[in-house]
Amino acid sequence: MPIYCDLTPKTSWRDISASDDERHALDPTLGRTMLSQLHLIRAFEEKVLDLAGQGLVHGPAHSAIGQEGGAVGSAMAMRASDQVNGSHRAHHQFLAKALAYVAPEGIDPEKSFGETLRHLSKRTLSEILGLAEGFCKGRGGSMHLRWANSGNLGTNAIVGGGVPMAAGAAWAHKKADTGDVVYTYFGDGAVNIGSVLETMNVAAAWKLPICFFIENNRYAVSTHVEEVTAETRLSARGLAFGIPALRVDGMDTLSVYLAAEEANATMRRGDGPVVIEVDVYRYFHQNGALPGSAFGYRSKEEEQEWRGRDPLDAMARDLMERQIIGAQAVEDLRTRCQEMMEEIADELVEEADGKRRIVPALWPEESFRDFGLRGDLSEFVGARFEEQESFSGTLKDNVKFIDAVADVMMRRMEADERVVVLGEDVHRLKGGTNGATKGLSDKFPERCLGTPISENAFTGIAGGMAADGRVRPVIEFMYPDFMWVAADQVFNQIGKARHMFGGDSAMPVVLRTKVAMGTGYGSQHSMDPAGIFATAPGWRIVAPSTPFDYVGLMNAALHCEDPVLVLEHVDLYASKGAASAEDLDYMIPLGKAKTVRTGGSVTILTYLVMVEKTREVVERLGVDAEIIDLRSLDRAGLDWETVEASIEKTGNVLIVEQGAAGTSYGGWLADDLQRRCFDALDQPVKRVHGAEASPSISKVLEAAACASLQDIEAALREVMADQGLPLAAE
Amino acid sequence: MPKGIILPSLSAGMEDAVIARWLKAEGEAVAAGEALAEIETDKATMELEAEAAGTIGKILVSNGERADVNSVIGVLLEEGEGAEALADYAPAVAKPADAPALKDATAAPVAKAVVATPAATDKVIASPLARRIAVQNGIDLTGMSGSGPRGRIVRIDVERAAEQAVAAPAPQADVAEAAAKLTGFGEYEAVPHSTMRRTIARRLVESKTTVPHFYLEADCGLEALLALRSQVNKGRDKPERISVNDFLIKAVAHALARVPEANAVWTDDAILRLGTIDISVAVATDGGLITPVLRNADRKSLGTLSAEMKVLAVKAREGRLKPVEYQGGGFSLSNLGMYGVKRFSAIINPPQSCILAVGAAERRPVERDGQIDFAPVMSVTLSVDHRSVDGAVGAQWLAAFKNAVETPMALLL
Repeated sequence: MPIYCDLTPKTSWRDISASDDERHALDPTLGRTMLSQLHLIRAFEEKVLDLAGQGLVHGPAHSAIGQEGGAVGSAMAMRASDQVNGSHRAHHQFLAKALAYVAPEGIDPEKSFGETLRHLSKRTLSEILGLAEGFCKGRGGSMHLRWANSGNLGTNAIVGGGVPMAAGAAWAHKKADTGDVVYTYFGDGAVNIGSVLETMNVAAAWKLPICFFIENNRYAVSTHVEEVTAETRLSARGLAFGIPALRVDGMDTLSVYLAAEEANATMRRGDGPVVIEVDVYRYFHQNGALPGSAFGYRSKEEEQEWRGRDPLDAMARDLMERQIIGAQAVEDLRTRCQEMMEEIADELVEEADGKRRIVPALWPEESFRDFGLRGDLSEFVGARFEEQESFSGTLKDNVKFIDAVADVMMRRMEADERVVVLGEDVHRLKGGTNGATKGLSDKFPERCLGTPISENAFTGIAGGMAADGRVRPVIEFMYPDFMWVAADQVFNQIGKARHMFGGDSAMPVVLRTKVAMGTGYGSQHSMDPAGIFATAPGWRIVAPSTPFDYVGLMNAALHCEDPVLVLEHVDLYASKGAASAEDLDYMIPLGKAKTVRTGGSVTILTYLVMVEKTREVVERLGVDAEIIDLRSLDRAGLDWETVEASIEKTGNVLIVEQGAAGTSYGGWLADDLQRRCFDALDQPVKRVHGAEASPSISKVLEAAACASLQDIEAALREVMADQGLPLAAE
Repeated sequence: MPKGIILPSLSAGMEDAVIARWLKAEGEAVAAGEALAEIETDKATMELEAEAAGTIGKILVSNGERADVNSVIGVLLEEGEGAEALADYAPAVAKPADAPALKDATAAPVAKAVVATPAATDKVIASPLARRIAVQNGIDLTGMSGSGPRGRIVRIDVERAAEQAVAAPAPQADVAEAAAKLTGFGEYEAVPHSTMRRTIARRLVESKTTVPHFYLEADCGLEALLALRSQVNKGRDKPERISVNDFLIKAVAHALARVPEANAVWTDDAILRLGTIDISVAVATDGGLITPVLRNADRKSLGTLSAEMKVLAVKAREGRLKPVEYQGGGFSLSNLGMYGVKRFSAIINPPQSCILAVGAAERRPVERDGQIDFAPVMSVTLSVDHRSVDGAVGAQWLAAFKNAVETPMALLL
């Protein structure tokens, strides 16, 4: 028989509940505030369901009626500068944090709520109804509630999607050493998604002050927790990552408060994250005003049993037992809460032709549609821009591209302590896998972070850091294809955050990645991501093809308040060119292409490694071609002025890119070109791109899948022949 | 459903025409049969009539532009249809059978076989840039061959056309251009080719280079004919007088009736023997030569022929001949006698087989009863297409003609 030795988890996992002592010791003001909050939130959500029932809430109305104890208990344990985010079901958490923020002295259940609370409730309801007065100007609605001042980072409609962002905010707190903490609220359904588990792992490894607050209400829509996991005590997840975990009855607001107090102490001490699991119950279905039993996935008896433990009643009972409040006062509190919500709703809704409708003047203007897809680049006012041809400093020749990459990052980290680099192996191997981060970890060990292989988590963490504002994260995807692993964070979160939350919040993430076609890394490491990123309006894209441009564009990317993809190419790393001898602070404007060769017969639009390849073929064939290095590739950054002027001159366009056809960049560009420049075109827009197949590992197949010099030549010959000027055969 | 307004073939062999002037504007209602536009063909200007009532939805070929036969030159909306219906309109290629000219053809049934197959619809395929430059330079892309894929007209084609500048509208440009090309000629005026001039050039080059001509000559005594003419004209007002030429037309008809083999048309597959005697008579106009047709000349009296000829000549000089008045014809007569020409050889007018060239009547010494006498004589030269008419047939015809001229009383029968 083998020898066994019991192993124990590194950390603790405990149930926690208030003892009689704690109940007796509850500060009356705190208790009365908790009761006020519970009632305000309950009445608010009942009004939301009422409006939803009248068809006045566009989209789902996910109520948390029944779950208020978890939100109020935890929020009351936080300070104003602590932060929270949540999921699609978050009205209660949003309000609890916001109420605590606007009423730091507490809320007296027996006095008028006053204009501030009323205004908060109205703005929140306005947002849920999609109205201009809402916190996100109506963009966010019920599922995207953000009010940064109150510590509400923004709630999320992707299950688990907000969790990495919360960890990013926690990293910023840790770096600033404020002792502030972040609560990320999510449900039992989110416990099994990768972003949550990845983030738990990173947060524990980096000892981030984040509380993973699980509201276990038993049902992910209609699927019971026992159907989808063997360990239904969800706080057990913490043990896998060395995170201390507490389980608490969420119907008991005071016990939740105690759990949160303990968690806060741990986090503020610098001991890293805590998991709190609260047992709660939503009285209604996933959304709307019908109970879950109406849909047959649970019984009326079960619902009745939980309603018997209602957190509002429990809190009132505790307070009444101690004669902190009377029964009539509790009844009056409920009435006053309902009346206030009724009044607020009546200000937003009117009767017209016998039907209730939103007061038309309250809707956002349609013209607001695209506002804030990206920032306005006003941060560049006064910036110093340089071009190599007119450079005011000294140039030195023969600089390796990869050294320019590392040098400018070193320079920025020296000059701006907000800059933080994170990615896989960026801190080792003399600057990561390619030397791009050379020297950074030696000089800035706290700001050059080797991440676990968790692209989704570390990308979201960067998003959270960037939204915080005290950090300028630079993340590296070792290969661009990994963006699919992190796709939710890249596109749903980082790309949409500014717009979704009203258009004013910055998201200054820089994402570096290298196109690696030609290295034999095969189907899953060889994409050019430009085409995909160009579909996401929030992202800006730059693709420097020379060391000089790299420095200027990276500086601009780091200065920009929007997420910027800085695209590199493994073939360029070893290339050499002129670079600034000393000055590493100049910028190149986002949105400025560069004409690298002038000509009259055809405009060639290209970027990155294909710029030089194209020039080589053009020179060899002696074609009178104008080559434009696009440099900025996103829709907002496409330099139409330069491109259109060139096409007006040449009448012919060839787009040259290296990557696979399906995810290619040139498709949308060709589409825009044929509409913008139709009357200038002497033939359809022509394109060079790779095959439909991804490049394979086999050298021959890889070369066949990528656009080659021969492909460029063939296209050039065709573009000339089709304008009646065929080139002589060689 | 919007319907295309198709440019019909208004004359045999007509391949294209210029839309001289639209008589209806876009949005204007038209009744069936009402004139839509004036069409300038090779030799004449005529009206294009609406096939059905409706509203002009769109004019696709504007005033002064050339269009191919069977191409769509405009869109006619049905009654009650609005302009939005245009969005659904897809131009269909017209079937040759749709062309009204064929229905209206007045030529003999056999002649139908020789009507050239209308050119296929020739939609202009050009790049947007080429079109823009063409508009800027007033260049008509119709019929231009392109250097791009599948014959697409691209910028360079238009630029070349612009350089050649023939199409430039201002005559001064022609002069400058031509002067640049022709050195050693001193000053000259360049007269731009008219549609008619181009047609004459094209057809005659085609005839002279592809038709194997041979020539037969004869002298015809005119003493009897001139005597008869003065007898016939006695008492007639000047405008109604019968001319020598009228007699000659009648004589040609007479000879054709006797030698019908000369009344023939050559085609690749068959020689067509024509069933009616229709004579094309050359008329000089300011714009060039045109040949109105006297139909069934063998069955008409000299007076009728003379009257018709006068009307046709006036119309020809005024450019008002309808295609039906100059199309067809099985034999041509060209008389330059009034200019004092002694004799000449004419170029056959395809697809006919013969043309008779007539010189001036002059008093020449003739043998009469063993004595030399002077009598009016004219020389004629018959040009013959040897593919369809052999030498012997030509000679028979010429003999019949000479006989008719010299014994003209038969022409009055």
